[in-house]
Amino acid sequence: MRIALAGNPNSGKTTLYNAITGKNENVGNWSGVTVAKKEADIKKKYNPKGMDVRIVDLPGTYSISPFTGEEKITRDFILGEKPDVIINIVDGANISRSLFFTTQLLELGVPVVIALNKSDIVSKRGDQVDVDALSKALNCRIITTTATSEDGLLKLMNEAIEVGTDKKPQIQPDFQGKDSKDSDTARQKFVDDIIKKCQVKNRDASKVTLSDKLDMIVAHKWLGLPIFFAVMWAVFSFSIEGLGGYLSGYSNDILFGEIVPNAANSFLEGMGVSPLLQALIVDGAIGGVGAVIGFLPLVMVLFFCLSLLEDSGYMARVAVVMDRFFKKIGLSGKSIIPMIVGSGCAIPGVMATRTIDDINERRMTTILTPFVPCGAKLPIIALFVAVFFPENVWVGPSIYMIAIGMIILGGLLLQRMFDWENTSSFIMELPEYKIPSIKYAFSQMIDKAKAFIYKATTIILVCNTFVWFAQAYSWGLNPVEDQSLSILASLGSLIAPLLIPLGFVGWQLAAASITGFIAKENVVATFAVLLAVASEEALHLPGGVLAEFFTPVTAFAYLAFNLFTPPCFAAIGAMNSELGSKKWLFRALGFQFGVGYTLAMLITQIGSLVVYGKPAVGFVPAIIITALIAVYLVVTIKKSGSKGAKVGVEA
Amino acid sequence: MLLSKAKIGQTFNVKSVEGKEKIQKFLFSLGCFEGEEITLISKLAGNYVVNIKDSRYAIDEGMAKSIVLEA
Repeated sequence: MRIALAGNPNSGKTTLYNAITGKNENVGNWSGVTVAKKEADIKKKYNPKGMDVRIVDLPGTYSISPFTGEEKITRDFILGEKPDVIINIVDGANISRSLFFTTQLLELGVPVVIALNKSDIVSKRGDQVDVDALSKALNCRIITTTATSEDGLLKLMNEAIEVGTDKKPQIQPDFQGKDSKDSDTARQKFVDDIIKKCQVKNRDASKVTLSDKLDMIVAHKWLGLPIFFAVMWAVFSFSIEGLGGYLSGYSNDILFGEIVPNAANSFLEGMGVSPLLQALIVDGAIGGVGAVIGFLPLVMVLFFCLSLLEDSGYMARVAVVMDRFFKKIGLSGKSIIPMIVGSGCAIPGVMATRTIDDINERRMTTILTPFVPCGAKLPIIALFVAVFFPENVWVGPSIYMIAIGMIILGGLLLQRMFDWENTSSFIMELPEYKIPSIKYAFSQMIDKAKAFIYKATTIILVCNTFVWFAQAYSWGLNPVEDQSLSILASLGSLIAPLLIPLGFVGWQLAAASITGFIAKENVVATFAVLLAVASEEALHLPGGVLAEFFTPVTAFAYLAFNLFTPPCFAAIGAMNSELGSKKWLFRALGFQFGVGYTLAMLITQIGSLVVYGKPAVGFVPAIIITALIAVYLVVTIKKSGSKGAKVGVEA
Repeated sequence: MLLSKAKIGQTFNVKSVEGKEKIQKFLFSLGCFEGEEITLISKLAGNYVVNIKDSRYAIDEGMAKSIVLEA
């Protein structure tokens, strides 16, 4: 039996879904968090009869007629795949709006059970709903629930399973003017009449509330942006420099610096394993993966903070604050949602662009979202900050400010290059603020930690073993004394010349960047493996072995290069499916590479001149490349401007 | 009168919703259509915060100009 969950955005569908399936999907109280349908088996607790029940969580929607991408997914699923039962989650705090969609659902023939959710908020407000009368008026069963505390869910699922077993078709609501041309207005009137009979409201929703007063501060014309920056700054510096940095320092120094490798060495020696295999395991696998997992506490702290922030309702306000600025570059406040999601991982971030209506705005957001440093890029940031800028606490969080700057700048460039015009309009529901749930943030954190460890022990472990092998052997498969004669060195040397204008000298730097395209954490892991041979010291110590390759300026540039060039392959795959054409994918990748490359080059060359008073390596080629890029940009912008056509629309 | 010209804190009845059909339909599904009440709560960062039925929405100026009020 398949049971579909459908309802308005922010009615609590995903919270209910997580509760009855035991999953841990990302919940947000802003529309557009769930963009694809999700499916799972029901938990035993809610399925006492042990039936075969699948639950499908659908994106939130206000009506069955598709206005946005998520509405289309929901509509296509219900009409095309005919679930056995629909649980319509009705936001008890906004019944009058929800019932419009409910009456549409009731007409599809699929039996409907209504979960009248958020009953805790309703009773707190002092509103009353006559559930029996409502149930009679709509001809379907209604269960009051509170998904956050799991109240009423067992009853709800029992009813749903019972209705699904009976297989009686749903009785459709009947109202005057249903078949007329103006059926939607008649439907609203029908809903209004039901509400008048069944609901007693004790609260005037149009009065200014505490939530509104808070909005006037956090979304203020002038204060909004500084508050947003301050909040982000606090979160990232707490994660990178504060608690997260402290815990990561410990796990890097003690746990993966001494305890684990020492234990592994003595264990392997005791087993009488060959020294070669021992080196592969300790230097290759444990060294590389350990260097990444060492940053786990930092990633956990960041996700905990971001979950709290999301849960509070603040993110919807960020969209409002950013709308004005994003409009100037052809985006709107809606584009901020994929970017915030992208601060966890670029893949769901890119997927979230689906909720954007305007095709140009969607493309632009897809191209710009990977600029937001994701969780996988965090270890690179933390490593470089620890080695090169141990005294300067501002460097870590400043990376995120640069990311915002690059998004604005990138948007401006894209708009000029393709002569895009934004036609989309912005509307965002503002949920009431609430105290964020520590329990939810904690479970999200554990979930993200598991995913991080899983990735480190699978894909990164495999890459590392390859990197270790490739740096220890020559093409003839003979072990090499000198790393520079190895397979990896010859591969890295192919790319290395390209990086000279950026001031990055050495095949090692090229090799680390390349492995970064498989997964960004690999940049850290590859350095750990490569430099383990050169030094006994841990990788992340201030002024450690990495300092042989970089000055602080070029280190900062290298960081920027790895963050702002195209994302990992998995995220490129997501970009491919959202952009929908190879031509646009190549444009996007070319643009991202150009931005990352140019930024790193400018940081190195200008930075070296300013800080050290002399040009860095590759100054002359850098000037030539800068000139070429400038000419290319001027020509492209002129061309697209004179054409006057909307290149974005026809393609 | 357009919503963009309305006074903060006042409740009006919607006379009509203009503009693109898609937006009209969307606002309709939220409960913003002829005869319904709408309250302008505040203006924030270039957006208009309104109350429709029991919920708050921020809408941009373009949309605020497409909502015509009775007054």
